[in-house]
Amino acid sequence: MRRRPGISGLQSAAAARDQYRLVGENVAKIRTDLMKEQLATFRSQLEEFARKHKNDIRKNPTFRTQFHEMCAKVGVDPLASNKGFWAELLGIGDFYYELGVQIVEICLATRSHNGGLINLQELCSLLCQRRKTAREAVSEDDCLRAISKLKVLGSGFEVITVGKKKLVRSVPTELNKDHNEILEVAQAQGYVTVEEIEKTHSWPSGRAIDALETLLEEGLAMIDDGHRDGKRRYWFPCVAPISAALGAEGLRSSS
Amino acid sequence: MQKLGGFKLPHFFNYPPYFTLQPVRETREKQVQLWKELILDYCRSQKIFVIGLEEDFPLFSNPVIERSLSHEAREVFLSALVAEGRAEWMDKSHKKCLILWLRIQAWADYILNFVKENGFEDSVMTVEDIQSGIETRGTELAGIDRCVLMRALRLLEQKGKAAIFKGTSTDDEGVKFSA
Repeated sequence: MRRRPGISGLQSAAAARDQYRLVGENVAKIRTDLMKEQLATFRSQLEEFARKHKNDIRKNPTFRTQFHEMCAKVGVDPLASNKGFWAELLGIGDFYYELGVQIVEICLATRSHNGGLINLQELCSLLCQRRKTAREAVSEDDCLRAISKLKVLGSGFEVITVGKKKLVRSVPTELNKDHNEILEVAQAQGYVTVEEIEKTHSWPSGRAIDALETLLEEGLAMIDDGHRDGKRRYWFPCVAPISAALGAEGLRSSS
Repeated sequence: MQKLGGFKLPHFFNYPPYFTLQPVRETREKQVQLWKELILDYCRSQKIFVIGLEEDFPLFSNPVIERSLSHEAREVFLSALVAEGRAEWMDKSHKKCLILWLRIQAWADYILNFVKENGFEDSVMTVEDIQSGIETRGTELAGIDRCVLMRALRLLEQKGKAAIFKGTSTDDEGVKFSA
């Protein structure tokens, strides 16, 4: 025979639920406490580490990159605020803002030569030349970090990847896929011909010429009619190694 | 880096497109600017006063990259210097160009300064002396183009700082300075 539900049955069920909830809350609390404790330990460890290796972080670009990677993995961004503990401890925020300003200056100084598109490698070496007096070495990774901070300003600084190389764009020119592909071909020798482009991409003749004309208009390319074969070459100062030296020269005369 | 008779060539001299006139205005302006500076610097260091457009001139071609400037390009670059008063066409057909890495006025000032520093006030020098004499050796005046020198001296004469007098032949044309 089935028992009908009684008052005491309901009461004991409610009591059990309360008990469970209490235990559950306790467990959760213990877990959070533990987590908090771990985080605190971790933070103090990281601080201690940063303090201990302060000089390495400041002066050694490779070490700095690795430190950044480690921070990224645990979700700490030492650059997030200039006022935070990291800035106080390492002065890292200022370092990158300083780099950012210098990067903008270099981009402006070389713009008339390269049309506002500069090889990351070249930018980095110009930056090093410029900072000769400063003790800290600067790596490409540092440049990238500084540029990513510039984005906040909405000024249109951007890093684009073309083939294997990274280029830094400081003009609002939008490069489409065709332009990127041409730049990629140009990386091999520093220049391209219409014929070459048509052959490598099997484009109809108008397409290559159109894209090259745009690049020319934007000041990213220069024509060269002087070769023996009589074919017009389009040179790209932003990918040609010779521009590194030229850029430096322009910079010196303008500063 | 490449050198030309002790003159250090700029990097753009080895970048082929700089030898072709650029069609886009901004790029062209930059190109002309670089060439102007190069021509003036080179002429100054080598004491060159006259460039013949149709003659071989070391800056007009770069055998290393097998490029040379077209006649049009040469004329564009030199015309840009003329427009700035740093050069003058010597004939109507623009075949010869006088390069003034110092303007005539600057030359006159230079001469006056030279005279003062070396105590030649109230003394007489021949034009020949100034061009190749022992006194001017090691100064910018050594090897100065006769035409440029005479114009500078005439400018000084106008200001009453010098008096030019002629001898029987051009060789003994002389000048008396008065400070």
